Amino acid sequence: MSPAAAQIAPLPEQSGSGSPRPPLELNDVSVMIGGQGGDGTLTVSDLLGRYFRKKGLYVYTSRNVLSRIRGGHADASIRASQDPIAAVKSQVDVLVAFDNEAVEMGKTELASHGFIIYDSTTFHIAEPHSAGFPFATMVGGPLGQPIFKNTAAYGALSVLFGLDPAQTRAVIEERFKRRGGEALDKNLKALEIGRKAALAMPGVENRYSIASGDAHNMILTTGNQAVALGFVVGGGRFFAGYPITPATEILENVQRYLPAFGGVVRQAEDELAAINMIIGASYAGARVMTSTSGPGLALMTEGMSHAGTAEIPVVIADCQRVGPSTGQPTRHEQSDLSHLANLGHGEFPRFILAPADPVDCFDLTVDALNLAERWRLPVILLLDQALSQNTATSPRFDLSKVRVDRGKRLTPEAAAKLAQYKVYEFSSDGVSPYAPPGTPGLWAEVTGNEHDEWGHVSVNPSNRLHMMKKRMEKLVHARSELPPCRFYGPPSAKIGLIGFGSTSGPILEAQRLLEHRGTPTRYLQARTVFPVPVHEIDPFLKEVDVAYVIEHNYTGQFARLLRETMPWHHAKLRSILKYDGLTFRAPQIVAEVKGVA
Amino acid sequence: MVQNYKPVQPIWCPGCGDFGVLAAVKRAAAGLSIPTHEFVLVGGIGCSGSIHNFMEVNGIHALHGRLLAQAVGVKLANPSLTVVAAGGDGDGYAIGMGHFIHAFKKNVSILYIVMNNETYGLTKGQASPTSEIGFEGNVESPFMSILTALSIPAPNFIARAFSGDPKGMTAILTEALKFNREGRGFAFVEDLSPCVTYNDMYKLWREKVLDVSTLEGYDPTDRKAMFRLCLETTESGRIPIGVMHRPKVAGRDGLEVKLVGDGPGPVRADIGLETNRAAYQKLLAGLS
Repeated sequence: MSPAAAQIAPLPEQSGSGSPRPPLELNDVSVMIGGQGGDGTLTVSDLLGRYFRKKGLYVYTSRNVLSRIRGGHADASIRASQDPIAAVKSQVDVLVAFDNEAVEMGKTELASHGFIIYDSTTFHIAEPHSAGFPFATMVGGPLGQPIFKNTAAYGALSVLFGLDPAQTRAVIEERFKRRGGEALDKNLKALEIGRKAALAMPGVENRYSIASGDAHNMILTTGNQAVALGFVVGGGRFFAGYPITPATEILENVQRYLPAFGGVVRQAEDELAAINMIIGASYAGARVMTSTSGPGLALMTEGMSHAGTAEIPVVIADCQRVGPSTGQPTRHEQSDLSHLANLGHGEFPRFILAPADPVDCFDLTVDALNLAERWRLPVILLLDQALSQNTATSPRFDLSKVRVDRGKRLTPEAAAKLAQYKVYEFSSDGVSPYAPPGTPGLWAEVTGNEHDEWGHVSVNPSNRLHMMKKRMEKLVHARSELPPCRFYGPPSAKIGLIGFGSTSGPILEAQRLLEHRGTPTRYLQARTVFPVPVHEIDPFLKEVDVAYVIEHNYTGQFARLLRETMPWHHAKLRSILKYDGLTFRAPQIVAEVKGVA
Repeated sequence: MVQNYKPVQPIWCPGCGDFGVLAAVKRAAAGLSIPTHEFVLVGGIGCSGSIHNFMEVNGIHALHGRLLAQAVGVKLANPSLTVVAAGGDGDGYAIGMGHFIHAFKKNVSILYIVMNNETYGLTKGQASPTSEIGFEGNVESPFMSILTALSIPAPNFIARAFSGDPKGMTAILTEALKFNREGRGFAFVEDLSPCVTYNDMYKLWREKVLDVSTLEGYDPTDRKAMFRLCLETTESGRIPIGVMHRPKVAGRDGLEVKLVGDGPGPVRADIGLETNRAAYQKLLAGLS
């Protein structure tokens, strides 16, 4: 079996005939690998990622999967860069296709210098810059199974990128060493089959070269993993959740890490149970969390109202996906913000923190646990699909900023010295000291009914006023303790950018592109999105002529919150919105900023 | 003694069956010398759910239907506490049904008392999941909690009591609390608790209740035999009461035992950074 003929067109920068074509050097490369679910596209991405990380590059990977277990089109994208990145690249440099659908979907994003490597076992394409290899039959004969075609494709890619053969092999050994034996052996053989075929194919070898970087001693992680780790080191010891995309990995990771620390993790029968189990555990005195996404959040809303009025600390991680209803479970959106800011029947205070990257996820999860217990209210960690599930090269998580602040929690010794104990005692900051059940000499009487300071059910109008103020004014008292905004770009810039969550990745990249084109901007990354940090955003808006609020939803939910809290800035605020289920690519933001400015 | 929460007078109508439950819980807890600061009463919504307001113990008033989930959370977080969830038939068998079924399956060592009056008393007498056909226009078949409980193959304690038989109820609650405190698992006690205002069944129920332990073939360790006995008793027009199930082997099968063992559990674990620093560093260093 000979490989199908490659259809090679000259690279734009190729000059003269006879002289060897120099490789095109890429310091920011993106590869998309597409095929049917089960084709092993993720493995190719994983192998490339391991190689690129050995070269000190920053890696960012994303997946495009359907909500089904097997089959259907699936693709994996990997980007590697010398610079820190947290976004999908706007163009694909190399497309690896295991089926024709992958070609059709990927070629629209292919760069003009791009190249397609495809499995020509069942189809052929007539694209100018492409090479077909019958990977499935090439490996199927000697190895007995076509499933190693993905590793053969990795071999062909290693030739295309001029990767070091020994390192390429080391990556396979690293990846399959745990499975060992036959799996490792056959993958190494598949690698060589792919490499040889690619070396024999004109126009493939060393078509590109990949730069090296200095991103060493870093980790490849996701927001969901970071939240789980933040929960453990922040002293979280009770977790209940219900599986839901894209939040499930928080539950899975906590299940993996927490039992070693004496914690308890439960998969509940539904989200109603999950939120109420953590309410019970928090009442008992544990640090607690649950995680969910839109539909589960809707069910948890009842429990969060209860926690709000009963003043029980809970942390809820909401990993946003496309809604409403089942929406697009595997796709990206930031459309739960309005619901969260207003959620619940009746009125109660809550904080919403929005991390932008894995380190932020780790740090803000610890903050969320402290703030929930310090202020005795629900705290929401607002993630989004890309932040939750995409992997990114990240600095190692650091314990130096971790602290455990239990607020006005009473020890048994302190409780024993009290003359009286009122579970809802009025205080200057609205927070009452708390002694959980089991404290000798005391009873914790906690209720979702309106109550007096002792916990007695009360319909007294004057008491109601005091209790409402006690709870609601926490939003004012806590302001200076909430995670501050981050600012990027020169303070003199007159164009403002505002965003939260993983949108920070493409925004920061857009900011660099704009800077190169002579348009300086200043970016405000909101890390507390509710209560709106007016004390930080108002001065920012005063200094700029215009501010683009960049978010993934239809109605401009954060922009609306800003207008509601700072109506005097109404005219300065403009929205850049995306709600097609995909994340922003930096040039899309650049185009909108340039178009209006 | 610190000046603390003071129980209030029950809001129940004079003669309400729930008074019997309150008295029996107090007697059973006192009989077992359970310290009040280690006793947690989780109340549901409805007349019966206010029971925690009337005792000198820790209390949490849960959302309608969610008391079991909260009680499970309390116990798993601190297994040294004695946890009783108490609510009505609407709370447990209608809005809380999902949690009810799963409570047997989970087998956490808590006691769940359902005060069944076959009506929604607090909202003024609508049909409940256990109402007979014909009550307030009810055309749906009544739910039979004991049969459902017996159908789940878990090592639970299952019983039914009657507010008109305070001695029998105290004995059952005492056994149930002991069962919990030995870490053996979930205890479910349904109490027939007449609503004197909307469904006064004292007289009728007194005539109809039948102590299953007096019946031939009574063996509460035999799930199949008990299912048949309860079903036949019900079909003959009587109401079976008594202990319906206790596991043959007295094992520490409570979920909290499986999860926490003899460890301190989530509440009493030392979560201080310094205590855990080395282990945290190892965990984080393991990332690549």
